[in-house]
Amino acid sequence: MATTEARLLTDRQAPDTALVSSADWRRPAVRYGLGGAHIVLLVLLFVAGLGPILWLAKAAITPTSDTLSTPMALFPHGGTFDNLRHAWTDLRVGRYFWNTVVLAFGSWLCQIVVATTGGFALSILKPKYASIITGLLLTTLFVPAIVLLVPLYIEIVHPPVVHHSFVNSYWAIWLPAGASAFNVVLMKRFFDNLPREIFEAARVDGASGFRMFFSITLPMSRPILGVVSIFALLASWKDFLWPLLVLSDTNGQPLSVRLPAIQAQTELGVFLAALFLASIGPIIGFLIFQRSFLRGSGLSGAVKG
Amino acid sequence: MTRTVPERSSVSVTDPTRSTAPPAAASSHEDGAAVRSQTPRRRRRFGTPRTWVRGGGLTSLLFLLPMLLIFGAFSWYPIVRTVIMSLQHTNLVQPATWVGLDNFRTVLNDPLFPIALKNTGYFALLALIFGYPIPLAAAVLMSEARRFRGIYSALAYLPVVIPPVVAVLLWKTFYDASPQGVFNSILGWVHLGPYPWLQSQSWAMPSLVMESTWANAGGTIIIYLAALTGVNRELYEAAAVDGAGLWHKVWHITMPQLRGVLLVTLILQIIGTAQVFLEPFLFTSGGPTNSTMTIMLLIYNYAFGNSLGGDYGAATALSLMLAGFLALLSLVYLRVTRSWST
Amino acid sequence: MKSRSITGVVAALTAAGLLASCSSSGTKAASSGSPTAKTSAPAAEKVSISVASLLPGSTPAAVKQFQAQVAEFEKAYPTIKIKSEQYQWTGPTFAAKLAAGTLPTVFTVPFTDGRTLGENGQLADLTSQAKALPYFSKYNPQVIAEGTTSDGKVIALPTAAYAQALHYNRTLFKQAGLDPDKPPTTWDEVVADAKQITAKTGKAGFAEMGKNDNSAGWILTTLAYSLGGRMETGTGKASKATLNNDKTKQALQILHKMRWDDKSMGSNFDYGWSDINQAFSAGKVGMYVSGSDVFNSLVSTDKIDASIYGLSTIPIASDPNAGVLGGGTLAAVRPDAKDAEKAAAVKWIDFYYEQPLVDQQGAVRNAQTLKASNQPVGTPALPVFDKAQYDLANTWIKSYINVPQAQMKSFTDNVFGQKLAAEPAASTQSVYHALDTVVQAVLTQQGANIDSLLQSANDSAQSAISQGK
Repeated sequence: MATTEARLLTDRQAPDTALVSSADWRRPAVRYGLGGAHIVLLVLLFVAGLGPILWLAKAAITPTSDTLSTPMALFPHGGTFDNLRHAWTDLRVGRYFWNTVVLAFGSWLCQIVVATTGGFALSILKPKYASIITGLLLTTLFVPAIVLLVPLYIEIVHPPVVHHSFVNSYWAIWLPAGASAFNVVLMKRFFDNLPREIFEAARVDGASGFRMFFSITLPMSRPILGVVSIFALLASWKDFLWPLLVLSDTNGQPLSVRLPAIQAQTELGVFLAALFLASIGPIIGFLIFQRSFLRGSGLSGAVKG
Repeated sequence: MTRTVPERSSVSVTDPTRSTAPPAAASSHEDGAAVRSQTPRRRRRFGTPRTWVRGGGLTSLLFLLPMLLIFGAFSWYPIVRTVIMSLQHTNLVQPATWVGLDNFRTVLNDPLFPIALKNTGYFALLALIFGYPIPLAAAVLMSEARRFRGIYSALAYLPVVIPPVVAVLLWKTFYDASPQGVFNSILGWVHLGPYPWLQSQSWAMPSLVMESTWANAGGTIIIYLAALTGVNRELYEAAAVDGAGLWHKVWHITMPQLRGVLLVTLILQIIGTAQVFLEPFLFTSGGPTNSTMTIMLLIYNYAFGNSLGGDYGAATALSLMLAGFLALLSLVYLRVTRSWST
Repeated sequence: MKSRSITGVVAALTAAGLLASCSSSGTKAASSGSPTAKTSAPAAEKVSISVASLLPGSTPAAVKQFQAQVAEFEKAYPTIKIKSEQYQWTGPTFAAKLAAGTLPTVFTVPFTDGRTLGENGQLADLTSQAKALPYFSKYNPQVIAEGTTSDGKVIALPTAAYAQALHYNRTLFKQAGLDPDKPPTTWDEVVADAKQITAKTGKAGFAEMGKNDNSAGWILTTLAYSLGGRMETGTGKASKATLNNDKTKQALQILHKMRWDDKSMGSNFDYGWSDINQAFSAGKVGMYVSGSDVFNSLVSTDKIDASIYGLSTIPIASDPNAGVLGGGTLAAVRPDAKDAEKAAAVKWIDFYYEQPLVDQQGAVRNAQTLKASNQPVGTPALPVFDKAQYDLANTWIKSYINVPQAQMKSFTDNVFGQKLAAEPAASTQSVYHALDTVVQAVLTQQGANIDSLLQSANDSAQSAISQGK
């Protein structure tokens, strides 16, 4: 995996043996045609990818009346930080942002624990019944999430054993998040690729399962932990329907649930400022961890297949 | 070693279900790791509890425990519950009663069901028309860029990073149907519009698809980009030596080599769009006049949309029908496409 | 899901108990009241309840005002602790909250749903606590009936009543060359004024809620009533749906003319209750129809500039059946509330909602607190008790009134001369929901076939009525 990773990253220094060869590039038709297409593409990507976000940033610091009457004008009557301030204080975007972070962190932790321990047991320890469990895991990959919605909701409201509603408890988000077969399978696959000799040697030395897990497996798994982490955090950040159903106390809701709820009662400029604040976090995260994001995303499509 | 991450991973993930696995899984090489994993391991016998513990049985179980508990409670059990609930009538207050296939009948007789079915199909079709070729073309073009390649993919991926709820609410502002709306202002510069966007039965669905394509295309582009790095470059060289033109290379080398990934993203996209919920829920609540009512929204409305209590039976029955349909579709799809890929 | 049912003497507790054991509390009520059949908890025991406070998105001033009320209450009842939760009744979220047991102990429901929820055992029985209120016998019989089940249990207390009214923007009226002191009194005038407003200002002359959360159907019903139509005849499950009556058709034709011929309805047709308030406060709407007490929300959540606000009655046609649709709000209690919580809840309802209506001291205290936070005092409503009591209460708070009463004169002068009609009684929400689709079709499709749309709406409403949904 490390080599392919390196490949993905070093690809940016365009190798000569690409679809369009150096010889092709020397032909004027290709050079200008393709060059032109690239410029068009870059402009389009710029407009489509960055345009809406730049507009949102502009609207966040423009008085509502200007955004309403001339949405495309650039600060016709100057800028203002009032919207952002109102969004932060009156709408308490900061609080919901924090809720979102806490929810994401808990879901991440739960997913990592389940995926690493489960993947380790299925791949390295391999009890006899491992194949049955793996099979059960794989079937859940084929069941669309929607099937779980209603029974899971009822289970949270009226849990069978505990008789205490988990509605409004973050556990209602964290624990179900752990049930991601995709993560376990990804992890198991990675562990499968670790050199067996190390584990055999450790076993001969009398290392326990726990030692093998903490001292050998985890330290070697940093790349895959990164990928799973990004999936987990992104998924949690994007989750809407489930928190909408199980977190009804407004104080504990994440941004994704809160924003639609306040839209109708909120002045447009303030609301757009709130939207802007809600997107800053993920954007900054993306800019910092860009490579991991793109690598993970490239991987996801293929692995899901 | 020319194998790429995607191909390798897909081999393993689908390994145990190889009979129904997508084409990529059928690739011939067994890679080293898989061979290694088949080296004989220590035998463990379930004799007495003590030998079981000593043989590592307890450790294995302890490691499996978090997964078994979480999946048991939040995946396997609810799946079984769905099947049971679809055959029951319950309002959570009185004890549930068995009603046979009544819930399925309720759904099939609901005048909204054919509408939702049609709309979901329409959404999927439009999403395919907008969302399938555009990322592919963009990815092929981007992979040939000699400069700023990082900027291309960053720009393309940026919308994917925006939380979907934020994206929808932002686009709802863009879709303001007054001449002062964002899109109508822009189109007004070239004397087009104003268009009704979400305020018209014929415009609403394409508007939803446009936002959805914008929000999701970046992810698909990145997948294609990753796959493109796995295209065997020697073939290009050979073709170049033979004097093949650019289009020839695209059609006869790039596309065939991407076929595995293309087939997978196609079925994934269909499965994803069949479950579209966020866009119709937040943009239009299914309106105007049910023109954006989708299957998922109907399920939601059955369960949670009525102020006097939900029809959980109908909701689970429809969920099962959707899941069954998608499973069937995937199976048929994989059967049919398997023969194309080798 | 078996209920270890409370062995209460109060018959209704059985129903409540079923829910109680299922939906154990998400809101942690201090478990003071033991589940025995005590009628009230000893005074020394502490009770904590959660109460619905304001709409989500209320201004800090409005929140401050509410907190002041809570502080006053806790001072008066030191054993009761109040936790406030922002709350808005919407059809789609209510059922989920009810099922999940996450409603506050005290919450509000519209008249529309009170009785049905009560009959279903989804609201706590407040009969004994309510009847102990000194003013219980003075409730307007029609109004208290909205909170009483068919077998005579009181399951909710009315807190406010309103008549549907026409809200208009005085500034836009002036800009359009119309007299803001002479709002339209017939639908023809509404249509003409709307056209003129759009022509002169470019704004929507008349806007209409069009969202399929039952608000579109609610407003269409208002229009049909004002022309003399009714949506149902008969009672209960035997009711006959009459959605496709001539007056509903006429109402739709009025909308169709404004939307497509005059193009005076602006460009957004999916307003919900809150959205249209916001659009109106932002000056984008000339006229719209909503409850007469909406001004409170326009101030507390939408920061309206009060000088643009005008309030008038709905135009009533000469038809003998023509009337104004009325409605109101009920305060209700979670079905699983224990006796001590119920007692505390009714004390809160009494203090926060009812005292300002019946007691001079309560009215003044309420008005003072509201005024101190620049919240509206004196917004016109309909009497929950009788007209004399309503007028009397208004004289108590005369010196605190801060709403522009002169701009509401056309409403206050005329509303009591209007025939007040209640909402369709059977399957109200389903009737509205069926009509949502029709309104959306007329507003978004020029060639919409009103007859066939109404026919299919009628069919689905009829089937909902027969099934008691």
